[in-house]
Amino acid sequence: MIKKLDNLLDKVSFYSIVICVAGMLLLTVLNIILRWFNTTMLWIDPLVRHLVFLSAFFGGVLATGRDNHIRIDLISKVLEKFQKEKLILWIDRIVHIVAMIATFLLTKAGLDFAKMELEFGKVAFLGIHSGALTAIIPVGMGLIFLRYLLRFLLTFSKVELDE
Amino acid sequence: MSSVVYLGIFIYALIGGPIFAVMSLFALSAFYFADIQMSAVAVEIYRTAGAPTLLTIPLFTFAGYMMAESKSPQRLLRLANAALGWLPGGVAIVSLVICAFFTAFTGASGVTIIALGGLLYPMLINENYSEEFTLGLITTSGSLGLLFPPSLPIILYGIIAKVDIDKLFVAGIIPGLLLIIILSAYSIFSGRKTKNLVRQPFSFSELKAAMKFARYEIPLPFIVLGGIYGGFITATEASALTALYVVIVVCFLYKDLSLKEDVPKVIKESMTLVGAILLILCCALGLTNYLVDEEIPMQILSSMKEFITNKYVFLLFLNIFLLIVGAMMDIFSAIIVVVPLILPVAQEFGVDPIHLAIIFLTNLEIGYITPPVGINLFISSFRFKKPVLSLYKASVPYLILMLIALVIITYIPWLTLVWF
Repeated sequence: MIKKLDNLLDKVSFYSIVICVAGMLLLTVLNIILRWFNTTMLWIDPLVRHLVFLSAFFGGVLATGRDNHIRIDLISKVLEKFQKEKLILWIDRIVHIVAMIATFLLTKAGLDFAKMELEFGKVAFLGIHSGALTAIIPVGMGLIFLRYLLRFLLTFSKVELDE
Repeated sequence: MSSVVYLGIFIYALIGGPIFAVMSLFALSAFYFADIQMSAVAVEIYRTAGAPTLLTIPLFTFAGYMMAESKSPQRLLRLANAALGWLPGGVAIVSLVICAFFTAFTGASGVTIIALGGLLYPMLINENYSEEFTLGLITTSGSLGLLFPPSLPIILYGIIAKVDIDKLFVAGIIPGLLLIIILSAYSIFSGRKTKNLVRQPFSFSELKAAMKFARYEIPLPFIVLGGIYGGFITATEASALTALYVVIVVCFLYKDLSLKEDVPKVIKESMTLVGAILLILCCALGLTNYLVDEEIPMQILSSMKEFITNKYVFLLFLNIFLLIVGAMMDIFSAIIVVVPLILPVAQEFGVDPIHLAIIFLTNLEIGYITPPVGINLFISSFRFKKPVLSLYKASVPYLILMLIALVIITYIPWLTLVWF
């Protein structure tokens, strides 16, 4: 069940990031072509920037699943040399728990910010309210939190984690 | 209380906590202890969405990964070999040039060693180069093109330091070439000393055939540099055109990869790295802005002024500091965290921000091969299944040469600033 949820989250992030990258690529090229005809669509630039912003979080979810986040893994490398597998597993669990705390707090901070923006913000582009745009943070961080939680739970099962 | 929390976060970083979480926890704690609402951290994170050049990071990285996954490495290798392979130490020079090209496009993320190592290693060994020379060369080359456009660290530096990326792209060219020339000279020297070194004759027909073989890759640097400096496109637009060009070439002209099957996989691969970098960027902004607001750089400056009296001593100190940073931290975190702190200090000592960028990036480039934790050493160890200790030994001559280049780049600012 946990593994299924983890795979589902991976798939959702994967498809979303493909859409984001295709979107940012095609829209930017469209912008260049429009400029040749002395035309501009003012919404393209901010939309592309938010697609990049969104892809940071989906990329973060994928990196969490593959344990690919940038980190100083000096101690685990030393422990691997001395074949302290059990200790490595416990350190890994601590790393997951603290990362969950960090992403949970960031989700909460993002939520507070989005609420404020919904109340005092304004329509940014294409009729999208700035509150909806800032909601990228709590949604993105929430997904990363969820992935950390699932990966943490999976460290207790003997199921092999797939890529 | 605050010291205990900060110490705890520091320990968390040492046991392998993801850097983005470390940065967030530092920022959240700093804001909490300063009685500032935690939502301020989210406000800082959201500021990332306002950076206009941010788009260059995913698109150039995607283009680089597409090329690495296709047969471009083979095509470019054949071309470089046909053009330079006849020189004494020619194949080694070919390796340097080709790795520099790929690193510039893949952002010094280890992809170069993984993608090209398997091709270059047997080539160099077949030409009778020693294993130590070969391993050292490929390990060093894995980050060699970092100063050339459109390298990811240059873009990230520009965003963080608020320096014009177009200027940074051009500023890195001569220092980047200097590094290649110095390492090429060493390769020629080693080639002359190597017994039974195989040297291939120059063949014009092979060069012509290789150029035809790589006809779609050859225009790439011209699209990026020519487009930007010809005033036709911005760096952001160049990234989109490069990505589109690479997709068309790889999927439709060469037919190396399938648009439906392979491209989404490449997007996943490249965006995992991009996501990891952008998350650090988002989360570190809160912390670095807080440190700048608290005037930490100015405090560093005033304490430094007690024992550092001029620009040249400062540059020496800066190099030593950055070499340590480069050997301990990955390049992306180092840029995001360290640049906002040293930039105001360097400006006070009269160091040009563009010159500082190139010094900074050269140091971090050297950090990639600096024992004990230079990342290229581990990637090579993994790729070629050799003990890390043998990589330490193999990289020493290259490390010394790169340090010589660093001194030249640091103390002759003209090399960087000649364009402006």
